[in-house]
Amino acid sequence: MAEPLTLVVLFADIDPTVNAIDKLHEMGITDEKMDIISGIPFNQEVLGRPKLSTFIPRLAMGGAMIGLIAALFLVFGIPGLYPIRVGGQPMFPIPVFFIIAFELTMLGLMGTAFLGLFLAGRLPAYEPKMYVPEISDGKIAVVFPCPVEMQAQFEKAMLSLGAEQVRSVEAKTL
Amino acid sequence: MSIAKSENTPSKWGMVIDQDLCTGCQACVTACAMENNISFAGEDDVAYGRSMQWIHTERFWSGQYPDVSTIFQPILCQQCGNAPCETTCPVYASIHSDSEQINVQIYNRCVGTRYCANNCPYQVRVFNWRDWPRPVPLNNQLNPDVTVRRRGIMEKCMFCIQRIRRAEDAAQVEGRQVRDGEVEPACVQACPPSAIVFGRLDDPESQVSKLARNGRAYRLLEELDTQPKVIYLTGDSNHGHNG
Amino acid sequence: MATTAESIAMPGASASEPEDPRDHLMLDPRPRGEMNAMVMESMHTTSKKFWGVVIFLVLTVLFALVGAWIYMIAEGMGVTGLTRPVYWGIFIVDMVFWIGISHAGTFISALLRVMKYEIRRPFTRAAELMTTFGLIQAALCIFIHLGRVWLAYWLIPYPNGRELWPNFHSPLMWDFMAITTYVIASTMYLFMPLIPDLAMARDRSTGWRKTFYRVISLGFRGTEAEWKHLKTAMNIFAFAIIPVMFSVHTVVSWDFAMSTRPGWNSTVFGPYFVIGALHSGIAAVMIVLFMIRSTMKNMKYFIRPEHFDFLGKLSLIVSMAWAYFFFNDYLVPWYGGNKFEQLLLDFHAHGPFAWVWVSMLICNIVIPWAILWNKKWRRTPWLMLVVGIVINIGMWIERFVIIPVSLTITRMPFTWRLYKPSIEIPITIGTFALFMLLYMLASRLIPLVPVWEVQEGQNAHILRKVGKVSIPSVSDVD
Repeated sequence: MAEPLTLVVLFADIDPTVNAIDKLHEMGITDEKMDIISGIPFNQEVLGRPKLSTFIPRLAMGGAMIGLIAALFLVFGIPGLYPIRVGGQPMFPIPVFFIIAFELTMLGLMGTAFLGLFLAGRLPAYEPKMYVPEISDGKIAVVFPCPVEMQAQFEKAMLSLGAEQVRSVEAKTL
Repeated sequence: MSIAKSENTPSKWGMVIDQDLCTGCQACVTACAMENNISFAGEDDVAYGRSMQWIHTERFWSGQYPDVSTIFQPILCQQCGNAPCETTCPVYASIHSDSEQINVQIYNRCVGTRYCANNCPYQVRVFNWRDWPRPVPLNNQLNPDVTVRRRGIMEKCMFCIQRIRRAEDAAQVEGRQVRDGEVEPACVQACPPSAIVFGRLDDPESQVSKLARNGRAYRLLEELDTQPKVIYLTGDSNHGHNG
Repeated sequence: MATTAESIAMPGASASEPEDPRDHLMLDPRPRGEMNAMVMESMHTTSKKFWGVVIFLVLTVLFALVGAWIYMIAEGMGVTGLTRPVYWGIFIVDMVFWIGISHAGTFISALLRVMKYEIRRPFTRAAELMTTFGLIQAALCIFIHLGRVWLAYWLIPYPNGRELWPNFHSPLMWDFMAITTYVIASTMYLFMPLIPDLAMARDRSTGWRKTFYRVISLGFRGTEAEWKHLKTAMNIFAFAIIPVMFSVHTVVSWDFAMSTRPGWNSTVFGPYFVIGALHSGIAAVMIVLFMIRSTMKNMKYFIRPEHFDFLGKLSLIVSMAWAYFFFNDYLVPWYGGNKFEQLLLDFHAHGPFAWVWVSMLICNIVIPWAILWNKKWRRTPWLMLVVGIVINIGMWIERFVIIPVSLTITRMPFTWRLYKPSIEIPITIGTFALFMLLYMLASRLIPLVPVWEVQEGQNAHILRKVGKVSIPSVSDVD
């Protein structure tokens, strides 16, 4: 059996795309095999696709905790280890703690969320990928593997549902 | 130990300045400059307010001619117990010394943010705006007990801490306590009418403590609760006082 | 997809002049490919005049900022106009001013995003760039004002052989934490929505530009997973950076409020400064949008009178809020009880800097209130440029009044002295030049309009017929 081709079907609108996804389900392409690539984000519910989860929020919470602990150390740990008296203020100033804790918690939250984007999206990724430049021009692409002998069938089905273009692509550097 | 602001901070070294005795001669200013290697800022900078005087004499006139009277007020670092300058320094260059109970300025730690000087209600802090020249032979007059400060550093009176330490060392060597009156900062030593008295405020029998209990005694800007260690004695009832 | 309407009346239009829905960017869609091409063209099109201005700015930065600063480091702070009791002067004014400018970016990008104000879409990136570049100037001003700047790293809490740590009682350390958090967070927040546009630029570039965009777009394609992660991270940022924005200028105001100086020890400084930041920031966005619209190709499609209208309304509201806080801060000392604060108010209004104080009130209150109430005037870009400049002058003056003018009056009248700035002026000009230079260079490399967000918004807008009129509706596809 020949290697399956990767077909890219380009749509201009969301409604034909969703119909095409249903048709592909009928023709035997399961959800895991297809990928929807688009120039603007579409909700999984809008597309009728399985929900995606991301660990970014949990990672960000962890980062926030780290920030809080850092603030605890800076405001209470340092005067505990190296006490220096200033201005008649208490050695362990609680209002100061709130300020530093807020800033460092937020920094931890956002810094790890940013890091999480790289980790979760496995970015940066410069290896060759399946992509067509029309996607950044606003087209919605449905990408899926299809057996070589069935290419004509898929093409006909997609075009009849309103696809602008159907072609096969190879992975290449973006 | 956490000290709530409403309590009185401990006292140790303190000073009493009698405004009735002060003649405004500025011997204290000169002696301080000699003792502490203070730079000579030059006419233009001094005219702009950048005089390098750790103790300066303020003059106030009161009354109408011919009954004009002058009040002289030598102002130096008040060594506040609740010093507003200490909390604001981001690098701990201005901190409270537990052993002397004064506010010490650590020259080589100062980064020059000048927040302490903004926050001093008495405006007694002095900043090194430039590296003023010390032309030969003025450099021979430098006191080896005190560092020389470069530009960008904040400095101020520290009750001649080098003299306090010297006296304490001498006393320790001889196995005794420091005697009352043994430590004389430069201004105290130079003052002709002995208007400035220095000693231990925590010793009720010291001369400075007795003078501090005088009916004429007041502290500057008392309402701020800075708890200064410098006590002023007003002139007679015709003489006002600042603040 | 938004329907284009030729003769459908919009609500609020007068009978004689139906409002054309295509006046609104969200109701005037063009194919994404065409918008991409417009943005790429605006990035690539330069002129001799452009590079002439860039060279002039580079020279200004080299002499007025870098050269003057090096001279000041070598000679000492004595070359400034600072003295007792004015230990902080124009450098700190500049620092507060630039942090204020930077708040507008976050406000527009984060607060308006969270509140789903669709009108923000075309100019979020222009505003976010203002934030990042404004914070760079603010950081420079912080370093510039230090007496021994070569030791500035001592403010960083790091373990060292001398066992020395910074003092967190000091509001300057709170500043350090807050501004660091804000700089890092807003740069990340600038970058994240930029990734899809960098991918677009990658797809439409050749040569060294393509390599550049390929590297910094990180291999982004737009798969469902990538969008999911990106949108999640952006949402976290949008919500989190709003309180950070409020906290940053509050912490900056605490540099003054924690002090014992008459006029500084005010409890209202926190919100007063935050509103002041928004005031100058929104005005600065108006200036930036006018510059973009009038100097770059194709930007008249993206930045329209409706955006100036919106910013003008916002600016009017913020100006009223600023007046409210200013009056609060004035009324309490005026009412009495503190001799030195009353002396200070008298010095503000009747002293040698009284003309500055009055100008502040005219620029911040009188002129905005006189102009911004009128819809037709709000939709006139050049007039909004003028108002934006006037407000920024007024807000710079406000910080000047609060810092060097207020510092003149102390509780020890023997020490009062007027401030005469000297090297501060070229250095201030240098920071403005650097801001403009960075912005101009960024406009060559970064698509200033987030085209994917504009398309997303246009997709979500439709004209819905309700009764006899057509009303724009936005679908909430999130």
